[in-house]
Formats: sequence, C-alpha cells, structure tokens
Amino acid sequence: MYKWFLAWRYLHTKLIALFGVASVTLCVAMVLVVLSVMGGFLDTVRSRSKGLHSQIVLDSGFLQGFPYYAEFGELVEEELPEVVKLTSPAIYSYGIFRVPATSYTKPARILGVRLDEYLQLNEMRKGLHYERYYPGTTHLGMQQMPVAGFDANGDMQLAQDLREANKKWRQDEKDVDSIANFDAEPFELSMYPKVVPTNVGSRAFALGPEEPGYIGREKHGVIVGCDLLNSRRSDGNFDRHLARGTDVAITLLPLTSRGNVTGEPPVRVPLRYADDSRTGIFEIDSMSVYVDFDFVQHKLGMDAQDLVDGGKSDARANQLLVGIHDGVDLDEAAAQIRELWAGFVETKLMDVSPTDRYPLTEVSVMTWEDMQRPLIAAVEKEKILVTFLFALISIVAIVLLGCIFFMIVEKKTRDIGIMKAIGASSRGVAGLFVAYAGAVGVTGSILGLFIGSLFVWNINDIQDFLANLNPQLRVWSPEIYSFDTIPEVVKKADAIWVAAIAVVSSIVGSLIPATLAGRVWPVQALRYE
Amino acid sequence: MSNVILKARSVHKTYTMGKAEVRVLRGASLEAQAGEFLVVTGASGSGKSTLLHILGGLDIPDQGAVEFEGHDVFAQSQMARNTYRNRQVGFVFQFYHLLPELNVLENILMPKLVSHSALSWLTGRGQAKLEAMDLLDRVGLRERAGHRPNELSGGERQRVALARALINRPALLLADEPTGNLDEKKGADILDLLSEFNEAGQTIVMVTHDARVAARAHRRIELVGGAIQSKRDGSPSVADSDSQPTHALS
Ligand SMILES: Nc1ncnc2c1ncn2[C@@H]1O[C@H](COP(=O)(O)OP(=O)(O)OP(=O)(O)O)[C@@H](O)[C@H]1O
Ligand SMILES: [Mg+2]
Repeated sequence: MYKWFLAWRYLHTKLIALFGVASVTLCVAMVLVVLSVMGGFLDTVRSRSKGLHSQIVLDSGFLQGFPYYAEFGELVEEELPEVVKLTSPAIYSYGIFRVPATSYTKPARILGVRLDEYLQLNEMRKGLHYERYYPGTTHLGMQQMPVAGFDANGDMQLAQDLREANKKWRQDEKDVDSIANFDAEPFELSMYPKVVPTNVGSRAFALGPEEPGYIGREKHGVIVGCDLLNSRRSDGNFDRHLARGTDVAITLLPLTSRGNVTGEPPVRVPLRYADDSRTGIFEIDSMSVYVDFDFVQHKLGMDAQDLVDGGKSDARANQLLVGIHDGVDLDEAAAQIRELWAGFVETKLMDVSPTDRYPLTEVSVMTWEDMQRPLIAAVEKEKILVTFLFALISIVAIVLLGCIFFMIVEKKTRDIGIMKAIGASSRGVAGLFVAYAGAVGVTGSILGLFIGSLFVWNINDIQDFLANLNPQLRVWSPEIYSFDTIPEVVKKADAIWVAAIAVVSSIVGSLIPATLAGRVWPVQALRYE
Repeated sequence: MSNVILKARSVHKTYTMGKAEVRVLRGASLEAQAGEFLVVTGASGSGKSTLLHILGGLDIPDQGAVEFEGHDVFAQSQMARNTYRNRQVGFVFQFYHLLPELNVLENILMPKLVSHSALSWLTGRGQAKLEAMDLLDRVGLRERAGHRPNELSGGERQRVALARALINRPALLLADEPTGNLDEKKGADILDLLSEFNEAGQTIVMVTHDARVAARAHRRIELVGGAIQSKRDGSPSVADSDSQPTHALS
C-alpha cells in the first residue's frame, strides 16, 4: 500500500516530478497530433476516394477505350438486378482547357459522363457550386449564358427559373449561416450583367441588360474543377473570376480504335462554363473538366462510325461505371461482374478483328479500393513512417525520464533507508519508484491527450493564425496534401494506444533507477542527517 | 533467566574502505530480558550504531548470531527479516528520520502501510488511525497530527519518530542516541517517555555515549574494543582509552 501512497505523494509534492510529467505530456501530445493528422489524412483519402467516381469500374487502361460497353451494361443490369443499381459509361482523355476571353490555358483531364447518372454514382453533387444555390439548373447539355436584369422596382434579378431554383434552395437549406453568406456576397447577382458587354456578342444588346434572361449561342455545358479556374482564398473559399455561362473551350486529340492519332488536326470544342466541382482532392480539382459523354464521344471519334468498306465500327468508352445497391458486398459484386464479363468477352472475341481484341482482353473489374490502393498504400506508409519518427524522438523523453528518476532516487536515498528500516523490502522500494513512474506516465498521458486533442481540434485555426503572422508558416499546402484543410479528428483507439505506450515507456525509463533504489544499503543511508 | 527475548552471540563486523579494514565489532555478545531497559554505552566510533543495526536486522554480521525469541534472525530469509523489522522491532534514530513529504499522522502510519496491501488497508485503515492518534496522545502531539515534520521542533520530531517505532507494538524498541540532537530539557522529555513506555512493559535497547542518559537504564553495558564489558547498575560510564576500533591494513 505504501507504494501507491508515497508515489502519489511524491507526484504532487516534488517539483522535479513536474518535469517528468511535462516530458511525457509533450511526447504524448506530439505523437497524438501526428497520428491524428496522418490518420485523418488517410481516412479522408479513403472516404473521398470512395465517393469520388464509382464503386465498381470496368476499365481497359487504354486511352482509346473499349467497345461493347453499352451491351455489357445492359447485360449486367439484367443479370444482376439485386446487385447492380445502374451502369453508366465514361470517357477520359487529356486536352487543353482554354478561356478565350482571357487566353487562359491549362492542361486538363477530360471526363465524359452522363451527368444525371454520374451524380447517382458518387458524391459529386455535394461539390457543385451553382447546383447548390440553384438546384436543378446545372447540366451538360446545350445552354446559353444567364444574365441578370432589373425588375420594375429597379432591383437586380435573375431569370425566372434561376430565381425559383434559388428560392427552393432557401427553403430546403438548414444552415442559416450559408443563406446569410450567400446574400452577403453581392457577387452572385452582380457578376452576370458585368460580363455582358465583354464577350457575348451583339445578341446581348438585342436582349438588353435590363431584362433578366439568357443570351449567347447555345453550347454544351462543362463543369470545371474548382482549382482549375478559381483562386483559393486563405479562408478556404474561392474567388470566381468567370461568370456562369462564360465561353470556354477544350482542345481534344482523337484516337483511332488502335490508339493512333487520327491524323486530323486536334478538335477544338467550344463550351459554356456551367458549374464548378470540388471533390476536395487537389489533383482532381485542379485538372478535371466534365463534359457530356455522348458529345465528347462524338468529338473524339469514339462513337460508331461508317467504315469505308461498309458497315459501322463499334462505339467505344474508356470505362463502364457500375453503381451497386446499398448493403451489397462490394468485393462479391465485383467478383460476380468479373465472371459475367469473362463470359461476355468470350462470345465477343469471335466477332472482332484480331487487332481490336487487345483492349477487350485487358478490361479489368475494379472496386474503388482497388483503384485507389496505390495512393492509400502510399499514405499508409507515410503515416507509419512519420509516427515511427516521432516515436523515436520520444525515446529521448524516456532517457530524460530515466535521468529524472535517477535524480529523485539520489535525493531520496535517506528516505529509502527509513522505509527499509521499518520493514520495506528491496522489491517493494523498487516497486514504489516504478509506481511513481507509472503515476508520472498516467498524469503526463492524460494531460498530453488533452493538449494534443485540443491542438488537433483547432489545428486549422492555429495554421490560419500562423499564416496571418507570416505566410511562410502555412505548413499545410493543398498542392502537397491534396486536401484544403488539415484533418481534425482524434480517434479513441489512437489516444488509448498512445497513452498506454507512454505509461509503459515511463515505467521502462524508471526501471534502472528503481532497481538502484531497491539496492540502497539502509545502514549507509541512515548514518547521517 | 528464561525471559531473554534478544540474544547476540559473539558478533563480528568489519567494514572495508578501499584497502583499509575497520574491525568495528569483535565478538560482541549481549542478552536483553523482556521488559528490560538496557543501555549500551561506548565512545564515539566504538561501533554502537553498528551493533544496534545488526540487532535490528538492518545490517548483517560477518560472524556470530542474533536470536530473537529463540529464532536466529540471520538464518531467516530476507523476507522474514523484513517482517522482523516491521513487526518485532521499532527503531528510533538520532536524526529522527521522518519522511518530509508526509504529515505526522502519515509518518506514524508508515509501518502499518508497509505491512498492508492496498485492499487490507481499506478495511484496516480506521483502526490503524485510531491507534496512531492514541500514540500521538501519549507522546503529547495530538494537535500536530496534520503538520509536516519541518513544522516541528527537534524534540517533537523525535516524539513522532518514537510513536512511529511503536505503532506496530514491537516487542523490541531500539534507540540510537535518541537524545543526541536535543537540548537537555527536550532530551529529558524523550527519556521520560521511554521510561514510561518501559514501565508499561516495553523492552528497550538504547545506545548512547552520554553518561547522564545512561543513568535512566535498568542495566548498562559498555562496548569497548568491539566487545561488551558488563557494568553494574548505576556506576558511571568510563570512556575506555582502548575503545577505539583498530584500524589495520589488509
Ligand atoms: N559503511 C562503513 N564503511 C566503513 N566504515 C564504517 C562504516 N560504517 C561505520 N564505519 C566505521 O565503523 C566505526 C563504528 O561506527 P558506528 O557508527 O557504529 O560508531 P558509534 O559508536 O555509533 O559512533 P557514534 O557514537 O559517533 O555514533 C566507525 O569508525 C565508522 O567510521
Ligand atoms: Mg552511532
């Protein structure tokens, strides 16, 4: 009993114990912060990857795509109705994104999708800007540019349908702040008429800026990654430089079914800026451009085409996206689809010319986890590495603790003699110091968890504060870490592990001094005052 | 007499400091009767403390034996000796040796804490505190129970040390110059207390080089040249020129 009693008493009467507690506290806080941030990073990569594209993807990995995607899509939906919710084709290609009015150009990853289906496959809708405030108005079909005008009272207004969409959003929105923020930003309304004279041509004047409505030639819409077009403010929002409906263009490089460049000049496709999309992953948001599947398929020459010798070539897509019903095991579903595809390809291979077989045989069925595995594995390794590094630093703290206990034992030699004189055993005295170390470890861990958690929960505020002092201090760069904010979650399991290891480490650090304490020769210790 | 509770038989103890050997005890023997107040005198450095430590099982003799109630203390296991120190023996030192972080009551309870597990302490705590307060009463420090040792005078500290030594009702109280650090009045108070406890049946073996202190004892023996020379009751202590331990080179 005296062990616990004295350990506790030493803990809160000895100043030196505070240094031990402080070193444990700092280490625990440090490791917890690292673990939480890296773990949060990993989880974000995981969860964002999941809602990013599609649960299951059939992909050949070939830029020219593969045929029979539509036929197989129907087959899958027919054969596995319990498993498959919907299928949708997709095309990806690379090209140049350009804003003609400003000569702004960027490399772009072009994704051709059927937007209504695509939005059911993932969480893209959450990241659409105009779709949020004007629900139901974002599409990739033919569209004009919306412009604001003035009503009878001289108030600025948008066209009827946009006004109603916005009203609907106001009714459904639960977050009152976001409505206030929207109204406080004069940008949404004022941006439209401001752009009118610059680039919509003579028809703008025919309609006149006074009446709200739509102007300009009808063009297909395009959704642009938010980092491709806009500049990010330090508060995490974006400055949008283009009005909705502004003319943009992409330049494409069509490939033949064998992957040859067609030989014709690159295709320039005029489009209208319909919306911007934010997935939260920087690589995607700074590169991606979403256009209508059928439109881009045609522009890339991947649709069915007349052949010189009569007949038609098969339409191609790069991917077939498969959405799965809730509650269905993803890996099982993928296995079933894989089996179905194997049988399907078997029958098809007969029909195609040998040169066209290759992309077909290369198609693989992947879950989102399969696709993101390299990225996730890399982040996992990074997490382990960084945690390991910090744990290594913590060993310094264990040595420090050992020194502190050594000093305590030195100072307490006489008291150890007293305890032995009244019957304490060597093991009991050693146990006292181990218990003391445990108490230091527990106290330090609790404080460390508390401080570390506070730090993690406010880490973005801290970063903003530092960045305000000096922009160089902004350590979390979205270019490097993919996400615009630092993860702020502390996991219970992490906390328990860190605390447990800290307590064990403190005890280990005290073992040598404790053994020495047990060996104190009482007669020697008691001889003098 | 059959009532001997402590018996030391030809105890030898030599300390080695580097190459120098200090032969402190050279065949010291003594017997203490139950209920006796025995005083061991001797010049400074004659080995009184060493002898007392060996009697209490704190130090180990090179040769010879110590028997407590017929059992050889040093033939027992280390554990049994710890228990011996905790239950059968109470120590009082010249320098009080209280634990500075604990208050008076807690210091007195220390021997109890040592022998209790956390669980048995929960149930025995109340009784132990009562006994401690009772002892504090007897040494006249009831109101100081919550004070830290550094808030007490030397005499008060020694009374606390005495209460601590007696909390487990040991058969044997070993006192090493308990008045050595106190002025005459305070020293006399402590000696009065010791006599009081002795009259109540406590066996005491006390070590001192102070003749006046020694006068309180039933029986005095002297440590000279590492061995015991018996003295008759009441006769004054004589510092023997031969009492210095011999220093020899090995
Ligand atoms: N650990 C030790 N190592 C070396 N010599 C020691 C040790 N302990 C005691 N001595 C020596 O043994 C001798 C006896 O010491 P001890 O303390 O027993 O004497 P004492 O009679 O109690 O003296 P005092 O009256 O001053 O307390 C002294 O000469 C001392 O220097
Ligand atoms: Mg002495």
